[in-house]
Amino acid sequence: MYKFLKNTRVVLSIIFLVVISLSFVYLSKDGTTLFAGFLKFQFVPSVLGLLAGSFIAFLVLFILTLLFGRIYCSVLCPVGVLQDVITKIACRFKTKKNRRFNYDKPKNILRYIVLAIVGLPFIFGITLPLVFLDPYSNYGRIANQLFRKGEILLNNQLANFFPETLYHKVFTGFVLGSFLFSVVFLLVVVVMSSLRGRLYCNTICPVGTILGMISRISLFKPIINKEKCTTCRMCEFKCKSQCIDLATKEIDHSRCVTCFNCVDTCKFGAVKYRYSFAASKSSESSDNKEPKRGRREAMIAMGLIGTALATRAFDKFQFGQAKPKIVGIAPPGAKSITHLKKHCTSCHACIAACPNGIIKPAVMEYGIDGIMLPVLNFKDHFCGYECNICSQVCPNGALLPLTKEEKQLTQIGKVEFTLEKCIVHTDGTDCGACDEHCPTKAITMVPYGDTSLFIPSVNQSICIGCGGCEYICPSKEKAMIVHANEIHVIAQKPTKEEQKKVKVDEFGF
Amino acid sequence: MERRNFIKAAILSSIAGAIELKSSNLFAKESVVASKENDLVAVMGGEPEAMYKKAIQAMGGMSTFVKRGQKVVVKPNIGWDKKPELSANTNPLLVAAIVKDCLNAGASEVVVFDHTCDEWQSCYKNSGIEDAVKNAGGRMAFAHDEKYYKNVALPKGVRLKEAKFHEAILNCDVWINVPVLKNHGGAKMSIAMKNFMGIVWDRRFWHSNDLQQCIADCTTFNKMPVLNIVDAYRIMTQNGPKGKSIEDVQVAKAVFMSRDIVAVDTAAVKFFNQFKEMKMEDVGHLALAEKLNVGTTKIDNLKVAKFKI
Repeated sequence: MYKFLKNTRVVLSIIFLVVISLSFVYLSKDGTTLFAGFLKFQFVPSVLGLLAGSFIAFLVLFILTLLFGRIYCSVLCPVGVLQDVITKIACRFKTKKNRRFNYDKPKNILRYIVLAIVGLPFIFGITLPLVFLDPYSNYGRIANQLFRKGEILLNNQLANFFPETLYHKVFTGFVLGSFLFSVVFLLVVVVMSSLRGRLYCNTICPVGTILGMISRISLFKPIINKEKCTTCRMCEFKCKSQCIDLATKEIDHSRCVTCFNCVDTCKFGAVKYRYSFAASKSSESSDNKEPKRGRREAMIAMGLIGTALATRAFDKFQFGQAKPKIVGIAPPGAKSITHLKKHCTSCHACIAACPNGIIKPAVMEYGIDGIMLPVLNFKDHFCGYECNICSQVCPNGALLPLTKEEKQLTQIGKVEFTLEKCIVHTDGTDCGACDEHCPTKAITMVPYGDTSLFIPSVNQSICIGCGGCEYICPSKEKAMIVHANEIHVIAQKPTKEEQKKVKVDEFGF
Repeated sequence: MERRNFIKAAILSSIAGAIELKSSNLFAKESVVASKENDLVAVMGGEPEAMYKKAIQAMGGMSTFVKRGQKVVVKPNIGWDKKPELSANTNPLLVAAIVKDCLNAGASEVVVFDHTCDEWQSCYKNSGIEDAVKNAGGRMAFAHDEKYYKNVALPKGVRLKEAKFHEAILNCDVWINVPVLKNHGGAKMSIAMKNFMGIVWDRRFWHSNDLQQCIADCTTFNKMPVLNIVDAYRIMTQNGPKGKSIEDVQVAKAVFMSRDIVAVDTAAVKFFNQFKEMKMEDVGHLALAEKLNVGTTKIDNLKVAKFKI
């Protein structure tokens, strides 16, 4: 029975890890719907998704935790599962004795300080600290910067051998800072997990801490039967959370990630995963303060989540966010740069998904509090008129889903034309590259002075800021530049130009 | 370099040059023989396939252009992520008919590609051309990365002295140019000559170095299409080349064919002019190409066949 539970956990967790990793590699195009659904069932996205109006994912994760403990940490969280994999691999390089885990005291002060650093600003609408510490988002960045890049390198090697079936791919999302952060985070996790199992999850991870507070009162949890236990320490050796204290024969449920290793390994049937809401009430637990404290903490945790959501939902607090000159263009669906900053945790799913490769991690485009957030860049391409993938894949609701029709009217920025830089003006030759690329005909070519030339003319009210003109403009200094809209607006519909349909019966020559 | 090596190289390259010159001469002779039929064919009033069949017959059949075992490239306009009804791209039915015909004529393979403006996979897919080509037995080639292009000198070019051409064009035996007839904000018209912008990598250079001259310069390329087939089934008469709605499109139901790229474009402009005013002199690249001896705008001097279905 426990064997089955444990094996199911292992299999499911690996499936999730693989699917989440693959989703960052293949999020574009065909895989969009499938993968986007998967990504929604992550804790932080589900909390933020709640604010965007989708409560199912959060409800599922919340009830799951209340019932069974930190299932999220052991099965769904990609960083959690990644650590298990690393722990497993590290074991191969250790002596048998070194493979054992030993009980370790909880580092509660550290845990709660980190939680406060992330949680307090979050309550007041500042997501920045969470950007750096949310496990899912960190995994997203690792997957995006390392796995996707790796896949592209591999693909391009293979494409040399199969030039007709595999096409050459280009990695456009590279930003040094974001890349380094991913690498450092990965290294920290690798070191911590290869030495101490789930130490990261129980000291630094804010999601682990908050779920740990709730899981103290979850209905099912592993419990040690003190009569049956022979203190053989097998369970302790197997506990990657290092939370089984055999001196008191208690399990620290706030740190237990419900991996079923202990129940699976106990030969005496002393550790059981069972319904224990009543049990914690009864005197089975020698220390009566313990369950009360558990419940109190769980209440606090739920209260915190509740308050956080409520305050953010009401949007009362507009803390003096630094307001530098906004130059970054937020992807369609972001509503406004403020909305993006509040809801985005930089998991970079949109960056991985963009078929045009124009979304990049921001450096300073949004200011210091918008670091690593997705920002558009029209150097390599422009935003496809028929494409709305980025808004579809965002699990956080930082980019709200847009239909194609909505997207085609969402003005993320406006183009500005500088006559003095335009080829037609400077060289006196035909160009029209911008007009050619404009999907709404916000740019039209009009007669230029007495010449037979035509010069672009801009109608900003129907421009949606797709950047086609900026991308293609051949001038050394671009004559067409799209300036960001701090708040996205609905552009006017492109003007309808009906034309008389001509009936022609001759060839004309 | 040592003098001896230099002389060797010089002799070898001059021989190579001479041979190439000869072969192209031969080729020209051959085409004169073949074009006993017609210099320019225009068909109107039918469905794309029917018009194509009529026109190619009048040109002497596809076997005049494609020999058994040859590698063929068919180059339509697939520049935009637009459905066929919006006529921003070449009609997929016409492309399919050409691909099939090439294979019937014994082509060893038929490759289709375009250096698209919008995201390439969407263009290939939503234009309907990818499916049409695959069903017809052809193959789509990738053209979205600089890696697929090789530098070629254009010694006769005035402004455009060299360009990176797509390897499919460089590696094939013959290629067929299949543009769609469109209005164009920059070049005024986008037809067969303008379709060359889809076989090269760097288009920005053209725009910033006298677009009309560069279009003409590129057609001095020494490996010209053996046939130009202009799709005018649906034509975009305003807001080209991308267009924004079905309002921009008129159903014209015509097709034009010629070996002479300037002649076929001239004919197409004159046809277009009936729908929307377009002066020959405004389409600057035609006269410029004529000046470079690429072809002729004086189509009245040619043997023209016109058919109405």
